[in-house]
Amino acid sequence: MSSNDKLPKPTGKPISKPSVDSKKAAAATVKLKQNKKLKRRYLTWMRMVRYGANNFTRNAWLTTAATIVMTITLLILFTTLTARTMLADTVQDFREKIGLSVYLLEPTTEDEAKVLQNKLGGIENVVKSNFVSAEDAKQSYIKANDPTEEQLQAISELPDNPFPASLSISVKDPNSIEEIDELVKNDPDFLAIVNPEREPSYEGDRRDVIDRLASWTRTIEFIGLFVGGLFVAISTLIIFNTIRMAIFSRRDEIDMMKLIGADRNFIRGPFVVEAVMYGFIAAILATVIGVFALYGLQTRLEGWGVNVAPTREFVVTFLPLILIGMIAIGGLIGAISSRLAVRRYLRV
Amino acid sequence: MILLDRVTKTFGKDGGAALNRASIHIEPKEFVIIVGTSGAGKSTLLKLLTREEKPTSGKIVVGGIDYDTLKNRHIPLLRRKIGVVFQDFKLLPQRTVFENIAFALEITGMTSREIKSTVPKVIELVGLAGKEKKFPHQLSGGERQRVAIARAVVRQPKILIADEPTGNLDPKHSWDIVRLLEKINRYGTTVILTTHNVDIVNKLKRRVITLDHGKVVSDEAKGSYRQ
Repeated sequence: MSSNDKLPKPTGKPISKPSVDSKKAAAATVKLKQNKKLKRRYLTWMRMVRYGANNFTRNAWLTTAATIVMTITLLILFTTLTARTMLADTVQDFREKIGLSVYLLEPTTEDEAKVLQNKLGGIENVVKSNFVSAEDAKQSYIKANDPTEEQLQAISELPDNPFPASLSISVKDPNSIEEIDELVKNDPDFLAIVNPEREPSYEGDRRDVIDRLASWTRTIEFIGLFVGGLFVAISTLIIFNTIRMAIFSRRDEIDMMKLIGADRNFIRGPFVVEAVMYGFIAAILATVIGVFALYGLQTRLEGWGVNVAPTREFVVTFLPLILIGMIAIGGLIGAISSRLAVRRYLRV
Repeated sequence: MILLDRVTKTFGKDGGAALNRASIHIEPKEFVIIVGTSGAGKSTLLKLLTREEKPTSGKIVVGGIDYDTLKNRHIPLLRRKIGVVFQDFKLLPQRTVFENIAFALEITGMTSREIKSTVPKVIELVGLAGKEKKFPHQLSGGERQRVAIARAVVRQPKILIADEPTGNLDPKHSWDIVRLLEKINRYGTTVILTTHNVDIVNKLKRRVITLDHGKVVSDEAKGSYRQ
């Protein structure tokens, strides 16, 4: 049998044979191409970035609008997060300052008080306890109230020191002081020294303030997150529309690119690059504005009793990380919204 | 090179057939003119060849590639093998002549050095030497179409599809473009030209395929315009 016999008959299907050949040829080309693949990818990537940058500078109005919206969004996120930590710090401050005062009989020595302090130390909720002698109490009253000469005179002329000695106790959670209550009211050592005529000041105005502050914190946190989320959504929509407008005015170009064989990534790339650039610039702007605002408002906020310092320290220490995070969020918003916007124009 | 076997294309559910069992076979290096009134199916035919549309039934094979088995992600690769020229040029308005032509090479990942050596040759071929740095709006219609042709042939495709390339041009420029297409054809590229220009069809004495209501009504080796 000669090899000629094996040739396929010239049927009405000349189609299958060439397609097999072309597959082999394609396989060979693929091998060749793989060597250049990395270089091609790099080139393509650079070209997409270049085209994206061109688009970015081409339409100044759209670019400015999109960048401003993105900046506001990121700024709101930044504000929400810093406000949250500042409030948390402030609430913690107030909690530490809450003094449960247990009043003691006169005279109580420091050593006697020490026994009670040790017992209090065994309770988990207790942060620390201080012995305040009668004299200390008098001095701190004078310091806190700044009395006139006459009042001072009056205080020092009193036969007995009217200020009681006390144990001032800081607690972690002012809402669960039952254990302390139990100890003070039942322990024999406490019963011996504690002034039975003066109720310990467990509760009072200050606790109300703390409760209120804590509930405000939750509200502010909620509002902040809600508004932050809302703005991220709005921003995504606006960027989405901005890009879509840009694309709509250039759909002929996109059609042309498709017809001369540009693949999806090459068409989509520049638009995504453009949107990511909005995010990048907005992130830098928002971070700079945010940090400056934090410094600028520090004095005023501290005047209102807000504990700014730890948050500021944190922001300054982790500034590079925060910047990277902001850029990531901005870039992500840009990338997602632009991909969504281009999608419908990419159908083959 | 190109084979259409009983290709039918209908749009919508009960819309008429834009192409109705059309069978066409085009050999490599042929110069084919496709004529027909508006709505005869010319555009649909070209869109099927560039795979913008899929046939409702029938078989299409171009350059050994069977469109039935062609995957979507390989469509860009197919289109890089077919050069396309349009009536409205479809150039990038913000880019120069050089950049417009280079764009066709950039998408294939060719290096900048290769591009810089390839593009001037094509600019020379289409007779635009010296106008590399002009923008499309600074050129005449005929020159713009030359840019479009240069962009289509810069990748040395086996097939060039010219969809009414002279539709927006005056007779003199139209003939320039047709002569250019003939020149490209002489270099070995299969050229498919659609046109309404009776003068061009009658004087070229090339193969003419006439479409009417989606059907191939005549296919003559040295044809002329039929109404």
